[in-house]
Amino acid sequence: MMFERSPAKIWRNRDVLYRLKYSYCRDCKRSFYPPRGRCIYCGSSNIEHRYSSGRGVVKEFTVVYQTPVGFTDMSPMVIGLIEMEEGFRLLAQIVDVKPEEISNGMKVEAVLRRMIVDGGTGLIYYGIKFAPLIEKS
Amino acid sequence: MRSFIISSSAVKIDRYYDKNFKELAIESIKDLEKKISEPLEPEALIISSVAVEYLDKQSNMAGIIADYLGLRNIRVYRVESGEASGLAAVQIAHSLVTSKAVKKALVIGVDKLSDMSNAKIAELYSYLKDSDYIQIHGVSPLSEAALLAKIYMKTYDYSYEDLFIWPFTMHQNSPDTPHAQLRFKISPDSYKESPILAEPLRLLDSYPFGDGASALYIVSEDVAEEYDVNVSIEGLSSSNDVNDIASREDLLIFSAVRDSFIKTLKMADIELGKLKYIEIHDNYTPNAFIVLESIGLADRGKAPELLQDSMIGSAHVNLSGGLKARGNPWGATGIYQVHEIFSALLGEFKKSVLGEIDYAAAQNMSGCGDVSYSIVLKRVR
Repeated sequence: MMFERSPAKIWRNRDVLYRLKYSYCRDCKRSFYPPRGRCIYCGSSNIEHRYSSGRGVVKEFTVVYQTPVGFTDMSPMVIGLIEMEEGFRLLAQIVDVKPEEISNGMKVEAVLRRMIVDGGTGLIYYGIKFAPLIEKS
Repeated sequence: MRSFIISSSAVKIDRYYDKNFKELAIESIKDLEKKISEPLEPEALIISSVAVEYLDKQSNMAGIIADYLGLRNIRVYRVESGEASGLAAVQIAHSLVTSKAVKKALVIGVDKLSDMSNAKIAELYSYLKDSDYIQIHGVSPLSEAALLAKIYMKTYDYSYEDLFIWPFTMHQNSPDTPHAQLRFKISPDSYKESPILAEPLRLLDSYPFGDGASALYIVSEDVAEEYDVNVSIEGLSSSNDVNDIASREDLLIFSAVRDSFIKTLKMADIELGKLKYIEIHDNYTPNAFIVLESIGLADRGKAPELLQDSMIGSAHVNLSGGLKARGNPWGATGIYQVHEIFSALLGEFKKSVLGEIDYAAAQNMSGCGDVSYSIVLKRVR
């Protein structure tokens, strides 16, 4: 199956996709992802960009069976609503854990994983997914 | 300033392997033309389609359909605003007419979801999400709706079985909707046993993939006076929200739906209670309840309890069967909705249920309320 992506598109978004760059509003003190030039909550342009620790908590999740082209070999795929330590939330895949072992409140951390394979060129694109947090002793 | 609808039509939503985009679009205006008993002479053609580039390898669709219709020297536009493209196209027609740029505008919505595999359609549907940062994670409106379903059930203490009232009601309504794709009733067992799409949502929580085309003829007030039948567009507005549900402060209210509906009622200068019939955008079961609560027909968390015989408050909702059973051919869906409420105001659709009504409305959105359009129509004569 074809899933066409431009390598340039992935490359230019590398800070957001690989380092979880997000926006923090200096006026309303809220964070959001992906980053924008204006605050999505108060409209202020008094914004600074920061990088996430990569750690968060699962607020809710679903197991997806009707996956789009490009993701069919990952089916069933878990999509989680994850609240990051910095306060913003995002939607991303949860991996390295069986769906029945996932629960709301579970701590997760960002890991680098294969995202999609371009069916036409065979290019493999990587990105951030989330796995159960391994606490370092 | 008002514009007027003087005719409409819709083909049955189905699988048309024998027809291309152009042929289906042209098929959709045959009845419309018959009803006004004269050749169409629009000064503008507006085509609503979400995915013609991907499904048909075609751009400039409005110019090409105008060519096949034999229309020359007119304004042509193609409108795309995700799943809300249909009502967005109506808004363009309304603006052209009320600004006096044109007196007659023909609006056609068309999409053909049967031309590709289900996985490809799922991919195209995920294009409604931000391609740089959201879609790339495999997130689509389906996974968002599944998350909303779980949050809705937990927040308001509903079981999955409690949600069945929506698809059940839609399939009660669709058998006598001539243009509906799924004209059959469903049982609780068939609901619970249908394949899982994204848990907890199953096949019967979603809309069927199909081909459809529907059309409206929208004209200025002086042109409308020449016709026996007409209905005015009293209110029409839109609003938008952040594209990813994760960043929304309130996940269980679609602010774009709420705000566009408030603006539309204000423009029409009526209260919600005046509306006796509303077609809403129910692409997934939880979204139907959230839309009903967002436009104020039910208090938060109460829509599943209050819905009875397809009525909520004093309004009938989705007598067509909604996206769930009538179908959701993306760019055509908003046009189908307007065709239905227009026909109902003329007493030609669901009259045995509605009787004579003066006002009706439609709400058409993209994804989980990312953008939303609303319209209020009034029967003039």
